[in-house]
Parts: sequence; structure tokens; C-alpha cells
Amino acid sequence: MDFKQENIRNFSIIAHIDHGKSTLADRILEITGAVSKREMKDQLLDSMDLERERGITIKLNAVGLKYHYQNETYLLNLIDTPGHVDFSYEVSRSLAACDGAILVVDAVQGIEAQTLSNLYLALNADLKIIPVINKIDLPNANIAKVKEELKKVLGFKEEEILLCSGKTGEGIKELIEAVITRIPAPKINNNAPLKALIFDSYFDPYKGVVGLIKVSDGAVKLKDEIMLMATGKSFVVTELGIHTPKDKPLSKLSSGTVGYICASIKDISSFEVGDTITLKNKPALESIAGYQKIKPMVYSGIFPLESNKFEALKEAFEKLKLNDSALTYEVESSDALGFGFRVGFLGLLHMDIITERLEREFQIPVIVTSPSVIYHVYLTNEEMLLIDNPNKMPPQVKIKRVEEPYIITNIIVPDTYIGAIMKLCQNKRGIYKNMEYLDETRVNIHYELPLSEIVYDFFDKLKSTTKGYASFDYEFLGYKPSNLVKMNILLNGNIIDALSVIVHKDFAYQRGMQMTKKLKETIPRQLFQVPIQAQVGSKVIARETISAMRKNVLAKCYGGDITRKRKLLDKQKEGKKKMKQIGNVEVPQEAFLAILSKEEQ
Amino acid sequence: MKGVYIHIPFCKSICSYCDFCKVFYDSKWAKQYLQRLNDEIDNYYMGEEIKSIYIGGGTPSCLSLESLEYLLNLTKKFAKMKNIEFTFECNLEDLNLNLLKLLKFYNVTRLSIGIQSFQPHLLNLMGRNHTFKDAKEKIALARSLGFNNINLDLMYGFYNETFDDLRKDLKLYLKLKPDHISAYSLQLEDHTLLKVNNIPSLLADDEAFMYEIIVDCLIRNGYNHYEVSNFAKKGKESVHNLTYWNNEEYYGFGLSASGYIDKVRYTNTKSFFSYLKGNYRLEEKILSKQEIMDNEIMLGLRKIKGINQKEFKEKYQIDLKEAYPITPLLKNKELKQKKEYIFIPEDKLYVMNEILLKMI
Repeated sequence: MDFKQENIRNFSIIAHIDHGKSTLADRILEITGAVSKREMKDQLLDSMDLERERGITIKLNAVGLKYHYQNETYLLNLIDTPGHVDFSYEVSRSLAACDGAILVVDAVQGIEAQTLSNLYLALNADLKIIPVINKIDLPNANIAKVKEELKKVLGFKEEEILLCSGKTGEGIKELIEAVITRIPAPKINNNAPLKALIFDSYFDPYKGVVGLIKVSDGAVKLKDEIMLMATGKSFVVTELGIHTPKDKPLSKLSSGTVGYICASIKDISSFEVGDTITLKNKPALESIAGYQKIKPMVYSGIFPLESNKFEALKEAFEKLKLNDSALTYEVESSDALGFGFRVGFLGLLHMDIITERLEREFQIPVIVTSPSVIYHVYLTNEEMLLIDNPNKMPPQVKIKRVEEPYIITNIIVPDTYIGAIMKLCQNKRGIYKNMEYLDETRVNIHYELPLSEIVYDFFDKLKSTTKGYASFDYEFLGYKPSNLVKMNILLNGNIIDALSVIVHKDFAYQRGMQMTKKLKETIPRQLFQVPIQAQVGSKVIARETISAMRKNVLAKCYGGDITRKRKLLDKQKEGKKKMKQIGNVEVPQEAFLAILSKEEQ
Repeated sequence: MKGVYIHIPFCKSICSYCDFCKVFYDSKWAKQYLQRLNDEIDNYYMGEEIKSIYIGGGTPSCLSLESLEYLLNLTKKFAKMKNIEFTFECNLEDLNLNLLKLLKFYNVTRLSIGIQSFQPHLLNLMGRNHTFKDAKEKIALARSLGFNNINLDLMYGFYNETFDDLRKDLKLYLKLKPDHISAYSLQLEDHTLLKVNNIPSLLADDEAFMYEIIVDCLIRNGYNHYEVSNFAKKGKESVHNLTYWNNEEYYGFGLSASGYIDKVRYTNTKSFFSYLKGNYRLEEKILSKQEIMDNEIMLGLRKIKGINQKEFKEKYQIDLKEAYPITPLLKNKELKQKKEYIFIPEDKLYVMNEILLKMI
């Protein structure tokens, strides 16, 4: 597959969730003949089952597509990006491999929070943007209004804006040709030493780690000895090529190209996203800017429901880690739950995905404890500790101050909800910054909020207070001092370490009431009375009591039908399997996430 | 020695709470049914000595005298033990001199009368209709003919039943001086009129309190509480029901009947027409030793006396305490021990499933 380098286009599609990005990508694949209609599964780029079900992209993909236009053959490299804030570092690295991006906006919804945050990432990467209004086939499409928003809020010109429908295919051809005519060819530098950006990697059981790369300078060939500039590790290239979307091996990837590379690498963490590949014997002088080590933002304890599944859980994490360099885990032991892992996630979605994969792909039922952010705890001796687990919190007397991570929001809502949003954010310890109108009726509200409040129940509250009309995104801001304390939960008089949380002192009472109430609802009655207490320091701030169970008996005789009695008992036994015995109290899995109570107070 | 249960699936009216297998009474069908019953007994009964017969339903007493005589004649096939307990279930309305004489003639020793309650609003909800006066007269009649072992069923736990309603019922029951009382809480079963009409259930705590009222009242009045739901005057404990709780073997004949013979637990078809065609058995299961032992636990602990460790060892060649986690449960006071017997303490009987679940 040889192309004139000036006929290469590297681009991405960016959008708010559900604005039809994946369907649009599917249409592009179809029209360029990359896949036949018959092979077409919906949303081909989302290859994980979970992705297809949730309609989101988790892992990135890249495909090279051939397209004929005015007697020339073009190679269009479409680089898919995950659309969620948890993965914004990965998005920024993918965008760094591109020269342009298609910005998809839903013809009914208009601009939403992630439209903005993704657009800012693309503009930061200096990309040429093609704005396109999608879903124009919908009966309630409001093209004129969305056009106005694109012009007024984002400063696009009328003639720049394209219209299309991923569903009917209308406008797709024009869109592809706009990619060719508007997005510049990659900057070519054939003679400099090799510089290639890794923008994604995954583990293939036959090939080892597969890196998705964009070659900016020089070229990389089969059997070259490559070096990773951040880690200094070197490997010999065993295979390289492009995805069409099937793997198509080549002998060389040269400047401007996007493709994949394998080098018998077993460990994905030695091949990190954002790192720069060069040649060992002729290295580049400096690496491509923007590399960061991925840092988890949220930590949770994950414990096997059955304690004999610890080894199986460990193996599962090892396998997940092969494909997910952002995942970190280390052994944690809990008095209540035994041995498990403290696991770091990029965010709540990432956490959801991992726990769901554990149960679905590895069949290991797990207990997930309340997620925690990383606190900076300054001791009286000025030492600073990073605390990702409430149980590692030093005693109050040794603490000088605690700082917690803050974020800044984009909350886009119809202006009738301004009051509700403000009330919600105040309740979440928010600091109002400013607000701008996107059009006559929609605003973008900016608040500074502690990340721990987002981790708690902000999404659900936001959804319920705005009847689902709000879209939300955020950016990490930095650390700020806060009056934080550790709150313990006691069941039947015993502290259950897995239920401890760090809370703001002024909100501790309210949170304690909520947690004890929720626990009372989730823990079934036992043979004896079980008090539930929330405690800060040695002071009990909230208390509920689960009264003793009074009835669980098969009183009836059933005319000697013993088998029926036995079946009823076996059914109850199945229910018990979903419980964890803590001390002498049986606690269901979901009780450990009681703090994430989804109900309104 | 084994027990025999015979199911008569006919009723003249259907009670709103009942999920047992039954059809409206029809004399032609009843005759055919009894013929098939005759065949089933001939096919399966192996000639063992029988220590109890229980004819239940449905409403066995709704059969015509002619059919009844046919049915009672069938029991002559069994090799009866000398002091056999022979129970016949009847409705108050059906009790009359002719019926009682017939039962007496065929050596029925025990009557079980499905009274359930005397409270008009509860009887109304159940779809039943009788008065205390009826009961008093009919029971006196039975006693005069020499029936000296009479069980009365008591049902409790209706959503519209008060504690006082129950206390009134107990008072009236005691006046009738029954030899045995079976007190069953209402279970809202699928395919019953109560369930179809979305009748609510009583709060579990209130039901448990009613159970306490019953146990307390009957014990005070000289009844032996010998099984979760059963109470008897001395020596009047039901031999037949104890067969179940002792995990002993018994035949079940008739539509939907269950039996336990030669380590096989079986249940008969619930389809009336299958039964008439002679397709008796619906399912059969050979039990493993573990399952038999588990049943021994599940059933044996229903008895207030509990399980005799020595007998358990003789039966299964393993110590009860070795086969099940008895010791920690004794420590928790969820089980108790008195001489050779391991039992569930009175105050935990109504939550006994929780304890069973820790054992099997």
C-alpha cells in the first residue's frame, strides 16, 4: 500500500456522548469500502461487548481507509477516541496524532458539555475542525438553532458547517471530501531520526503488546531496534502495518503514517500511551511533548465475595492490566472483608467497567467499597502523605491540614434550571465561578467542586434535579485545603473498616444519617438486634437499629410434600450466598456502596 | 412400619386460601377416581405393616356414602398394625350420624376437622361458613359415638385479623376440648383466590406475635407443643405426622400425593385426567445419604424434642455433631441440648429456617 505522503489525512471524530459518533464512523467505513455491508456490525470500532452495549468507546481504535477523489487515492486514518472525561488523557494523545477533527453535534440536542471539552482538547492540539450537524433525518431536528450555536458560541462560519445523517448516509460523501480538502496532510520529515507517538496500546495473546502509533519523523521498519524514550527500554520490531480495519502487515511505516507496531512485548506498562518511539542506534534528540504517566483519580477496595477467590481475582487483575495500563492495584487487607485489592481508576466509569468485567468475563463476584479520591495530608512535622484509603488516615492529632482535589465544571442546562443547579452545587460545597449563555435559553455554568463530591452522588443528583436535561463535564483543577475527617461505621458495636469514609466535617452529620439509614435498608434482619452507628473520633453522630428477625419458618405441613419444603429452603440458601459474613452479621454486597446512595434525602 | 396418605381431591366449595390439588365434586368422576386409586394401591403397595393411615384432601367427607364405603374398603388392603392411627379429614358441614357411623365401622380412630376459625369476617374471607354452635353439636355427636381423638385446624395470620380475634378463637377452641390442634399461619400461595385478589399479607412481626399467643395459650391449657405447628393432649400426638418429622417412609396415594419409599421421594401427577388414565407418578428422586441426612435435620428439628443423637448415629453411622456444625450453634444458643436430644429453643422456632440454613 503505497501512498503519496501528501495524500494522507489523519483525523478524529469528537462528540458529546450519544451524538452519533460511532454510527457516523460506521458509515465512513462502509462508504470507503473498508467493510462490506454484510460484515458490518453496528459500531464496528467499538470492539468490546461492553462498549457496544453501553454505546461508548473505551479503548481506542484506528483504521486506515482508501478513498478516490479527483483521480488521486487518499489514505484516511480515522482515529477513534473515547468520549468520556475519565479518559481525557488518552483522548489528548489520540488527538496529538491527528491534523484535524470532525466535531459532531446532534441536530436535536445542540452543543453539550463534552462537545466543548473535546473541542478544547482538539484546539489545544492545533487541529483543523470540521463542524458537522448529525441526525438531520430526525423529525425534531433543529438545524437552524444548532447552526446558530455553532456560529455564536464556537465561532464557526455558516459555510464551514456540514449536515449529515449517520443513519441514512446523507452527507457522508461530502464529509469525507471535506476531510480531504480541509484537513492538511501531516507534516512530513523523512530525513530526521525516527519519532513516533504511541497513542494507544492493547494486548494481543499472539502478538504481545500492540502499539498504535503515528510516525511524525523518519520511518520505522521491520526488525528495527526501537527505543522508548520515557522508559529507555528497547525492543526489536516483529510486525508493523495498518488496520483496514483488519490487520494489514507492511514492511515500513514512514513519516505521516498511522499504524500498529508489535515487538514481542509482554508488559503493557513498558509501552505507555504518550511515550515516543525512536531508533536505538539513531535516537531523536527530544521526545514528542505531552507525555504524562497516567495517574488514577479514584481508588476503591475490591474484595472477592468468597474469600477463596482471592487468587482468581489476582489473576483477573493481571489479565485486565495487560490491556489497561491505567489500571493500578495492590493488595489490601480488611478486617471485615479479608484480602483484596486497593484499585486505582481514572474515574467512576472506568471503575464501573472494571468491576463489571470482573463479574462478566471472570465470573468473580466482588464487593466494591466506597470510592475515595487521593487526599494530601500534611502532618504536624510538615511531612505530606498521599492518602487513597480512609483507613490509612493518620490520627487527627498528627494532622496539620488536609487538601483535596478540586475540579471545574461545564454544566450545560436550559436556564430554567439555573437555580436548581446552584442549590445542588452549594450543597456539594461548590464555589461559583461564572456562567455564560450559549443561546437565549441555554447556559454553561462553571463551579469549582471537590472531586470527592462528584465521586459521591453528583451525577445522579444532577440528573434528577434537571430531569436529565443537564450535560456535565469537568477538568481537574488542583488541590485545596478542606476540613476533612474520617467517619467510621459500626455494626453491632464493631468498626467495619471497609465502610469508613472521609467526609467534610460540616457534612459529617448529614452523611452519617444517610449512611446508617441506607445500611438499615440494605442489611436484612438478623436473628438478633443490630445497631448501626456512624462515628467521628469517639463521638457517635448517627444511629439506626435493625430489629431482630421474627419470622422465617415453613409453618405449613404441605401434606407430606417434603421436596417442596426442601426447594423453598434451597432458594433461601441461594440468597445467602450473596451475603458476606462480618462478625456475626450477614451483609449483602450492595451495602458496601451504601454511601453512594442514589435516593433523594 | 410405614404410613399411608390417601388424597381425595374433591370439594363442594373451594376455599380462598387453598392451593392443594382439588376439583369440584362430581359423583361420576369420584367413582372413576376411586377405581384408579384402587389400581394405584394394587400396583405400588408392597404389603408392609402400616402404622397410620391418613385420608386427606380436598374434602374426603364430601363423597357420597356409597363412594365413601368403596374408599374405606380399599384400606382393608393394608396390613394394619394393631393400634393403627386412622385419620379422616372432614368438614364440619358434612359431619352427620350416618357418616360418623360409617367411619366408626371401618375403624377410623381420629377425626381432623378443618374449622380454621370462628370469626365471621375471617370465615368470610376464607369462603367458609359455620358457627361455634355447629361445631359444638357435631363434636358432641362424634364423641358420643366413641371418637376420642379429634384434631381441629386453626388458621391465623390474616391481614384483617386482630390479636383479639385470635384470642377469641383460642378461647372457643378450648371450649371444644380438642385432643389435638394444628395451627397453621396463612400462606398466600399462587393460584389461590386470595392471591388473585391481591389480599395483603400480615406483617411478619405481627404474625410472629400471634404464634407466641397460640403457643403460650395452648401450653398453659395443658397441650403438649410437640412440633412447630402442632399441639396435643398427652398421648394424642399424631402418629402419622410424626412419620414425616421422623423422616420415616410412607406411601402417598392419589392425585398430587407425595410419598417416600425405599429412599425414593416421589410426587404424583397433579393433572386429574392424567391420573384417570393411570399415569400416576410425576417425579421420583432417589435420595443420596447426604440428602436423607439433610432431611432428617430439616424435619427433625421441627419437633420440639429435637433429634436424638444416638438414633441419628445408629441410622447414619456418623455423629450428628460431626456431620453438622452443631457445636457453634449450641454456643450461640441457636440450638440447645438436653440429654441425647439436640433441639431448637422455643423462642427461635419461628426463625428456624435461619438456623437450618447454617446446617444444610
